[in-house]
Amino acid sequence: MEKGKILIIDDEDIVLRSCQRALSPAGYDVRVAKNGIDGLKMLETEAFAVVLTDLKMPDLDGIEVLRRIRETWPDIEVIIITGYQTVETAVKAIKLGAFDYIEKPFSPEQILSVIRNAIERRTKQ
Amino acid sequence: MKTHVKKTLNSLTGKLILTIGTLMVAGSTIFWYFLIQHQEKELLRNSIKYGDSFIDFVEKSTRNGMLTFQQILIQQTVEAIGSAEGIIRIRMVDGKGRIAYSSIKEEKGTMLDKSESLCMLCHSKSGESVKMQSSSIKMGKDGYRVLNILHPIYNEPACYTSYCHAHPKEQGILGFAEADISLSILDKAIKKQEIAITAYVIGFICLLSVILCTILWNLVSTPLSILTHGMERVAAGELDYTVKIDTGDEMGDLARAFNAMTFDLKKAKDELVEWGNTLEKKVEEKTEEIKKAQTKLIHSEKLASLGRMAAGVAHEINSPLTGIVTFGHLLRDKFPEDSQEREDVEVIIEQANRCSNIIKGLLGFARATSAEKGLININDLVNSSLNMVQHKADFFDIKVVLNLDESLPPLRVDASQIQQVFLNMIINAADAMEGKGTFTVTTRKVVENGSSFAEVEFNDTGHGIMEENIPKLFEPFFTTKPVGKGTGLGLAVSHGIIQDHGGRIRVKSELGKGTSFFVRLPYYEG
Repeated sequence: MEKGKILIIDDEDIVLRSCQRALSPAGYDVRVAKNGIDGLKMLETEAFAVVLTDLKMPDLDGIEVLRRIRETWPDIEVIIITGYQTVETAVKAIKLGAFDYIEKPFSPEQILSVIRNAIERRTKQ
Repeated sequence: MKTHVKKTLNSLTGKLILTIGTLMVAGSTIFWYFLIQHQEKELLRNSIKYGDSFIDFVEKSTRNGMLTFQQILIQQTVEAIGSAEGIIRIRMVDGKGRIAYSSIKEEKGTMLDKSESLCMLCHSKSGESVKMQSSSIKMGKDGYRVLNILHPIYNEPACYTSYCHAHPKEQGILGFAEADISLSILDKAIKKQEIAITAYVIGFICLLSVILCTILWNLVSTPLSILTHGMERVAAGELDYTVKIDTGDEMGDLARAFNAMTFDLKKAKDELVEWGNTLEKKVEEKTEEIKKAQTKLIHSEKLASLGRMAAGVAHEINSPLTGIVTFGHLLRDKFPEDSQEREDVEVIIEQANRCSNIIKGLLGFARATSAEKGLININDLVNSSLNMVQHKADFFDIKVVLNLDESLPPLRVDASQIQQVFLNMIINAADAMEGKGTFTVTTRKVVENGSSFAEVEFNDTGHGIMEENIPKLFEPFFTTKPVGKGTGLGLAVSHGIIQDHGGRIRVKSELGKGTSFFVRLPYYEG
């Protein structure tokens, strides 16, 4: 049962694996990228419903990834993953058009809930 | 003794007495001399006057005898008068220089010695006749002075018309009457008077000197020595010493001026000493302040580096924790409900979440610097904070009392940070009360050092805090809660936040009775 294609961008392997293991059983097609540049390349070749991106990454950070996606693929919902929540980054992310943000460490239920909400909004639009 | 006299003579009083004494002696001597001279002259003048009267008397007594040419009678009269006391000699000399009559019989009929003053009087210059009587004073044989009176006897009609025709009409002066009168009585009187006056003058000088000395001693010397003594005492540092001279004269003025000066000196010295003391105290206070500021700086630097470290650690640790939590959940769902394995995995997930909470607490430091301030009603913040926790099981049996001052103005604060502080206070109170008791929140206005603050008091009826723990309350990682319940960061973070807002947190606690936390925030002056 194909629910939607989801791209996870994070420099931490364990986060990528956790997301995959949490989302795949729920029927999501999960693809992963180890950094922002790779993620953007994948976006150019494949169509995604939702992108989850870490905030702090080498080379290209989550805010920059968010900005590029908003510019090029405005219909993709972006969810920010933060190592720790700060008011500014959260506000900045939401202002730049992120759908939501999720704090590490998150449980499978939490990430599923956020993804569900994002897809729900996307289908409503 | 000798030096004492010298000292006295050198003193002001000595000099004054010496000067005035010398002037007095000189003045008295001059006065004495002129008085005596005057007296003597006066007496002598009177004596000459009496001498003249006397010779006049002799002439008149012998006039009848002369006119009737009764030589024996004349001689007898002259002898009789000459025998009187004090009369040394009376004689009458004719124009040829023959002594016609004399009280000294032997002289009668003899010629005058040409050198005698009597002759010299008439014949000093050739042909010049004597105009009038004369008087002179010479020394007598007995040592007393003798007054010599010489009186010319003029020719008159009764003389040249007398039957004896002894004198022709042309003759001007017929002869001389001469008297030597002893001045012994006068000399004796003068001597007596001289002695008396001298005695009086000496007595007067002595008396005056004694009076002068006494006056000078009392008016000058005594007050001066009192003043000198006082100055020596003051110079030796005895600034409480006052000179006691209560006279209304210049000495009194001097003493009063001196006392005023000593008083001012003491005041100035006291001020100086006090200034020195307070300076020391001020330096101590400043040093203490600097030490405190330094400690605070070190403390805040520590917190800042801790915050930076926490941020880094949070980023690194939260990713593996995500793995633990996610895979824990996946693993848990593989075990049936109520199985031991499922319970074990629950523990793993729970502990991973605890790690995450510790990290969140640490992050409070990093966040304290990134405040977003707005004008917020403090009472609203208290209410919303309470609403967030009141529905929790920990609060079911706790009575919450609110005493909120509705007149408090809005404050410029970061609402989420202040709410974090309030939540901390509320959760700590609930923990301390262990589920039962009364929790009172009071807001009020306080004024300290002219600045206004809003104060929120969180009072619980919990177990209280041990006195030795109070200073450590705001240190990071200090906790009295059981392991796993508190991170020891809540109050440290709260303290940092409130300090960042220009306020402070105070604690008042009594073991067994409860604790009050006072959170004070400054009024917004914009």
